[in-house]
Amino acid sequence: MDWPSFFQSIANGILIAGLYASVTLGLTLVLGVMGIVNFAHGELVMLGAYNTFWLFTMLGIDPLLSIAITAPLLFLVGIFVYRFTIRPILKDPPLNQLLLTLGLSIFLQNLAMILWKTDSRSVITSYSGMSLHLGMVHVGATRLITFVISVVLTALLIVFLHKMRLGKAMRAVSENNTGSWLVGINVQKTYMLAFGVACALAAVSGSLVSTIMYTNPMVGFKLSLKAFCILILGGLGNISGALLGSLILGLTESFVGTYVPEGSGWAEGISFFLIIVVLIIKPTGLAGTRRE
Amino acid sequence: MGSSIRWKTTLPLAILCACLLLFPKLVGSYFLHMAVSAILAMILASSWDILARTGQVSVGQAGLFGIGAYSSALLYQKYALPPVLGMLASALIATVVSIFLGYLTLRLRGIYFSITTIAFAEALTVIWLMTPDVTGGAMGVSTPPLFGGDREKAYYLILAILAAVVAVVRLIEQSRLNFAFTAIRENEDVANVLGINPTKYKVLAFMISAFFTGFAGGFYSHYNTYIIPYEVFNLGISIACLVMPIFGGLYTIAGPIIGTVLIKAIEEYLRVTFSYGHQIAYGLILVLVVLFMPEGLLGLWRGKILPLLRSRPGR
Repeated sequence: MDWPSFFQSIANGILIAGLYASVTLGLTLVLGVMGIVNFAHGELVMLGAYNTFWLFTMLGIDPLLSIAITAPLLFLVGIFVYRFTIRPILKDPPLNQLLLTLGLSIFLQNLAMILWKTDSRSVITSYSGMSLHLGMVHVGATRLITFVISVVLTALLIVFLHKMRLGKAMRAVSENNTGSWLVGINVQKTYMLAFGVACALAAVSGSLVSTIMYTNPMVGFKLSLKAFCILILGGLGNISGALLGSLILGLTESFVGTYVPEGSGWAEGISFFLIIVVLIIKPTGLAGTRRE
Repeated sequence: MGSSIRWKTTLPLAILCACLLLFPKLVGSYFLHMAVSAILAMILASSWDILARTGQVSVGQAGLFGIGAYSSALLYQKYALPPVLGMLASALIATVVSIFLGYLTLRLRGIYFSITTIAFAEALTVIWLMTPDVTGGAMGVSTPPLFGGDREKAYYLILAILAAVVAVVRLIEQSRLNFAFTAIRENEDVANVLGINPTKYKVLAFMISAFFTGFAGGFYSHYNTYIIPYEVFNLGISIACLVMPIFGGLYTIAGPIIGTVLIKAIEEYLRVTFSYGHQIAYGLILVLVVLFMPEGLLGLWRGKILPLLRSRPGR
């Protein structure tokens, strides 16, 4: 057995899982709190990535520092999107919510194509080429940094949801919105802030995407589909499921990429095959589902 | 009285049919090409609407379209199957695929089905790119021009298929299927109690939808003479399939057709204006329709505009 490439595959899988998890967190938050599968979440990530790219290219701001600008900006975008498109359809049937967020997704993809063309762009920093050697395994500096940021982000989100007043309100609303309203929680405001926080999370993922992947108008949709796969693997609307699903997807892609002939091409399709197979075997997702 | 009402509907229809039949004699090559691609889109829109009648939103029609496109192109390339027979083969192959996919996924409700259909179309792109020996890979497959490049014949063929789709939708509307489809859409559990097997009817609707979508794919490959996976399995096709009928008005014969005409006109304008991103109209229209006119243009016409016209003094 070729141990170095085996461990390298594990390392790569775990590192990319960090990015996937950060994308899935925002999607999970909106799904958990409002019960809406936001098809446009990936496009918010894409906007975050472009924002990071332009701040870096025009002003030379480090992609990781630019999170401090991109996240608040997308928070505001999120509040705006929520107020004018999501709020009016909160009580609509789920398919209307699907169509609305799908419409937003298509709109933002094409807006990005009109504004910035379809070429893939990448952010190359002074530390992009660096890598660490940990025993048999090489770890790229940017990949490691994005992984650490994802872990910190997840930890912050968990603390926020369990310790802070607003986070607790979000959890209460996700359990029972009528009950929350009865005990004096402003449900509308909680929804709005949850959507804003999800968009800020998307901004962080966007910064990470721009440094370790590439930025183009379709990158968000691709990540959305991976995130759907993760939700289906891990169960809908809970954070631990999202983390588990990210690990499964990241490791599967990495191992297929290494061990299957022409694996890097097939790895692109793993999330689609997994979605189909898992839903056929178990229509409620691997881990079952907490809602509905 | 009865005959005057009949005249009111049959006369405009007869004029419309005459116009459609005479159309190629009246316009040049560019408009004929526009008409062919618009009619192709109408077929896709109407077929999507057939499945939507059971309450299922497919976001992966491009998968069936692409299977249709490749079936006839590859059958021509490998066995020199005549194009029109190839299109029929495309329709049948897409139908068979829809039976498998339908039985496996139409048990899923709502959003899960939609996500699976996206994954289906995207998975096909990957499979096609990764198996170039069978599928031609990223280089695609080319075929000689349909009917030796005679656009008029192509126009009449695709018009005949549109007529067939409209006839099938009309048959569905007049048969008991309509009740089953509507019952399933309104409330699947109640439909089940009424003795309607939801999965069976959903698969049937999916099969009809796939048959025409596959045929359209087969026609497209011969008409266009060249197909690549990125194009025929593209998300854009799946989106077009659903936005056109939603814009025009769901669960009607005219809705998908009117929606297609308008969207094609808007898209053609944007194509000239922007080099990329002309599908922005699809996204915007989808958002606006869901927010402000859930019954589409036909609903707007019936609910808002027609009453205004009828409230003229003296009536």
